[in-house]
Amino acid sequence: MIRSKCAAAAGGVILVLLAIGTAACAEVSVSDFAEAFESIPVSDLGRFIAAAELGLSQADFPASQTLQLIGRLAATAHSPQEKEALLLNIVIAMEDGLPVDGLVTKGLEGLARAVSVPLIEQSLHQRLILIAETRDLLYAKGIFSVEPGSPQSVPTALPTPRFNLLVSHISDTLADYLEGGGSPFEGETLCQEVRFRLTSLEGATLVAADVDLVLKRVEPADLTRVALSAVT
Amino acid sequence: MRTEDIEGILRDTLRQEVTEATDGLLGLEERIAAELGERRPRLRISDWLRLLLAPTRAGRIGQLSVVGATAAICLLVGVFVASQFGLDRTSSGIRLTPSQNADGTQEILFVLPALNADDVSVVGTFNAWEPTALSDEDDDGIWTASIPLPPGRYEYAFIIDGRWWGQDPLADEYVRSYGEYSSVRYVGGGDGA
Repeated sequence: MIRSKCAAAAGGVILVLLAIGTAACAEVSVSDFAEAFESIPVSDLGRFIAAAELGLSQADFPASQTLQLIGRLAATAHSPQEKEALLLNIVIAMEDGLPVDGLVTKGLEGLARAVSVPLIEQSLHQRLILIAETRDLLYAKGIFSVEPGSPQSVPTALPTPRFNLLVSHISDTLADYLEGGGSPFEGETLCQEVRFRLTSLEGATLVAADVDLVLKRVEPADLTRVALSAVT
Repeated sequence: MRTEDIEGILRDTLRQEVTEATDGLLGLEERIAAELGERRPRLRISDWLRLLLAPTRAGRIGQLSVVGATAAICLLVGVFVASQFGLDRTSSGIRLTPSQNADGTQEILFVLPALNADDVSVVGTFNAWEPTALSDEDDDGIWTASIPLPPGRYEYAFIIDGRWWGQDPLADEYVRSYGEYSSVRYVGGGDGA
């Protein structure tokens, strides 16, 4: 009786250890990225690994999806230079501390649709410009990001994940609009599109006060300027 | 025999005939009505249709009965669907409202009618654009999959026997991506969702 209880307890401990081990294995590390970059292979491995380290230090970095993208990209029949050019957009975003989830999902979509890698690269490049310009626009409007836990200098300094979500959704809306054939000069329409996207996500992934802040401060002409930067 | 006598005989005969016939006709209307009341005519489908389309009182009652029965069936089906999924009115019309899970995710139902299809799947931002299969267990051509999703915005498309289909009628909006359409669903959220 006692022996069977001991055996059951030992079995339980082993199961827990296995679960912990599996969870540890599932966590993405820099070495996973190094291995993935080598499979492309990239010309400047050191730069790519350093960017991955920066990305992994961010709370909202989509590590496993980025690895999936690199893995699927490596499996395509395109040249290493074309693959590296595509990945460079994500690397630049990571180096600049920009949100990369939109770039990664758009890259995955392109590969799933069997779009050629240079075309995906063009799309990601346009999106990268829009992300950077949107971030700068919010800065110019007095909306800042602050690392979680750091002292908030101004009331409009949002925690980085919340700030990045705003940047992602605004830039993504503009990119979708332009990719759908919309004109960057249609500032009012751009504004409506952004308003719809942000209010649709109020209470879901976006904080209502953040949405309100953006909609009060960002004007149609601002969005036209951002959109123009990606097409000129 | 004189002509007057012959006319008299004929007149008497005719009077007798008419009198006898009139006796037989007395109560004829009531007898027919009673007999018709006892005999219910057996109507065929064509008779029923004729009756329904006829502008008679009976016809109108028949039409109203059919309309009422259809409405009752629709109402029962509607109540059943609403009890299963809930109905929600959105900017794009009525859609099935997902049920909420304990972990904060919502069961999102993907539905696509695809008659004669062998393989239907859905790809999107929620599964890194890797196919998730839809099933058609009762073989009626309606393919479904329920996927738990946390609140957010999701782009997706269906793949029907290898062909991409990005215009889901249940989508909240559509975007053009790489020259093709993708559908968008908002899970949770505010005004637009």
